[in-house]
Amino acid sequence: MCPHLTVAENMFLGREMVKGGRLSTKEMNAETGKVLADMHVEIAPTAIVETLSLSKRQMVEIAKAVSTDARVIIMDEPTSSLTGREIDELFNIIRQLRDEGRGIVYISHRLEELHHIVDRVTILRDGQFVASMPWADTSLPQIISLMVGRDVKEKFPHVQADKGEKIFEVRNLNAGRLVRDVSFSAHEGEIAGIAGLVGAGRTETTRAIFGVEKKESGQFFLEGKEIFINKPMDAIRQGVVLVPEDRKKDGLCVKLSVKSNVELPNLDFLATTLGVVDTKKVARVTDKSIKDLSIRLPNADVDAISLSGGNQQKVVVAKWLARQSRVVIFDEPTRGIDVAAKVEIYNLMNHLKLQGVGVIFVSSEMPEIMGMADLIYVMCDGRVTGSMQREDATQEKIMELATQFERKLGNAINA
Amino acid sequence: MSETAAKKNGFQRLFAKRGMGQVITVFFGLIALCLVFYFINPNFLSERNIQNLLRQIAPYLIISIGQGYVLITGNIDLSIGSVIGMSAMISATLMTAGVDPWLATIITIIPCVATGLLNGFLIATCRLPPFIGTLGTMTIARGVAQLVNGNMNTDAIGTTAEGWRSFFYYGKTISVFNTFWIALALWAAFNFLLSRTRTGRHIYAVGSNAEAAKLSGVSVASKTTIAYTVSAFCACVVGLIVCAQAGMGAMDAGTGYEMYAVAASVIGGISTLGGQGILLGNIVGASVWGAMYNGLSLVGAPVAWRNIVVGIIVVLSVLIDVILRGNSMIRLRIRAGARKKI
Repeated sequence: MCPHLTVAENMFLGREMVKGGRLSTKEMNAETGKVLADMHVEIAPTAIVETLSLSKRQMVEIAKAVSTDARVIIMDEPTSSLTGREIDELFNIIRQLRDEGRGIVYISHRLEELHHIVDRVTILRDGQFVASMPWADTSLPQIISLMVGRDVKEKFPHVQADKGEKIFEVRNLNAGRLVRDVSFSAHEGEIAGIAGLVGAGRTETTRAIFGVEKKESGQFFLEGKEIFINKPMDAIRQGVVLVPEDRKKDGLCVKLSVKSNVELPNLDFLATTLGVVDTKKVARVTDKSIKDLSIRLPNADVDAISLSGGNQQKVVVAKWLARQSRVVIFDEPTRGIDVAAKVEIYNLMNHLKLQGVGVIFVSSEMPEIMGMADLIYVMCDGRVTGSMQREDATQEKIMELATQFERKLGNAINA
Repeated sequence: MSETAAKKNGFQRLFAKRGMGQVITVFFGLIALCLVFYFINPNFLSERNIQNLLRQIAPYLIISIGQGYVLITGNIDLSIGSVIGMSAMISATLMTAGVDPWLATIITIIPCVATGLLNGFLIATCRLPPFIGTLGTMTIARGVAQLVNGNMNTDAIGTTAEGWRSFFYYGKTISVFNTFWIALALWAAFNFLLSRTRTGRHIYAVGSNAEAAKLSGVSVASKTTIAYTVSAFCACVVGLIVCAQAGMGAMDAGTGYEMYAVAASVIGGISTLGGQGILLGNIVGASVWGAMYNGLSLVGAPVAWRNIVVGIIVVLSVLIDVILRGNSMIRLRIRAGARKKI
């Protein structure tokens, strides 16, 4: 929706009523008012969308769909930004639309809210249809088990190591809606995994730790001593580094050479005190990390974008291995790269773990987390909802924690 | 991989160097351009004209160094033409008031550099769109230029400034005008800063991908501010040269120079999209620009036509840049067309 236009203008965007070349504003306002009244929603057609609450905007969105006489309305996570009372309102409207004979496809991660509105449930996994059945014939445990599947046959190169000292600890971190009171720690000889569904706040957490997003409160401890991170440079200097989720957007200067990318965060020791870059040292360090990580490229002067996804990812990692990092945070490091490259990334994490580097591994793919991590934290809706040792982890347990939204539903639904 | 590198001869290796391809291509274009003017009017390559040409190129080169810095960070600086005017007017006003020319020079640099800092603050810290932000400072700087001498051009800067004028414009060192040497010295210094130092690497990273640069510990705002400050400093020097040439301060000095600076940079291979290009290109770009202006006047083209030709060159060179490197509709169509054929 266009936030600066009125409700009616948004409703009729692209299909405005026109009479003799002039907009029929009155008619459109009247029509909008009628649709909203039918839905029992109190919103003025002339209100500016920007001034409405999120739930009201969602109502306008739905009204827009209704006004085109839609037979089927698809809602994708409609409650994700609503409060309890607003969710009640939305559900009332959904029921009303259903009773009018419209079909509604309601997509949600929030399993606990489904029983208020759902008549039939369909489960998809990894882009594939799994099952479909009437709501009355199923139960939450069954849905969870269908969501996770049972085929964890993939082999992961997990290595056992003795758990050592605590290297890094995050205490009561708060940063925006999706990082709320997050606490966890990483030990020597251990990969700390953070599991959760898309939108659980894991990436936001890593960015808050790295100093990209401002944090409201929270403490970080490195080897027992409190450290202060206000910008990425602070984190890098103290040895806490991040391999970001979106390597093209956050990880690489894609149109600069591989060499430029590797040297970029390391110029503090690759340049003289006057700031002149020591090109020989840069070449040495770059060549070494290319060899260590077996990055396949014609030479270090090619554009980063010309490499395959797996090799690009390795370049991002190379940036941090060129310096002595104490804690490496991997955010979805295997997304969009081929199987062979994935295994190389896993081996790399193991290598770091055995060297005593703290490894924090964020992933949405459960088999991967269960295969590689020694301790698994699960996040949902910005909170850490639980943790478990590798041996105790099952997909069902993780999924249950990953869908544990805070109860927001009000009383109207129960009535 | 070392084998293929060894097979390449020296020229191929030079060509493969980052940003070098376009510089060499444009260099041949420059030679062709000179030959064309030479055949129309052989005086074009006379010793006297080459002397003039080198001096004419100098201000374009200096101004384009600064603009090049800003373009590489992915921004643009429209205020530099006005900073030239401000620099010329402030220095000339001070000199006509009897201030020592060199002291006047130092005093002039302060407000000019301050304009650069202001640009950096507005664009990098306050996140104003660079077009709008520098459009504002452009107007402010022009206003200052008009204000310093009570909305009048200054009188002649007088005989005490002869040595100063000779340093910036009329004098020669090793039989080439000083202006050219000044430009070359500035180029060498700023080229070193951009290509050999940490600051330079950070400037490229900011222009290539500000988000990734930030996550690599680069302070995006401070590097952008440095680029704008370099730009304003270069404009200041050009203002001093213009003042030395005219022997007085003119309020409209430097009008349109921001465009020349963009043109010389882009022709030399610096992308308006940021992160790409090398300052060596600016020497070639500024030369093409100077040769074009000088040549067109030598073959007797009226000023109006010169402006039109020069404007077309600017648009064409930016267009080629955007088609080659950006996401223009034309490029997408060409690609789609190519895919269809396959």
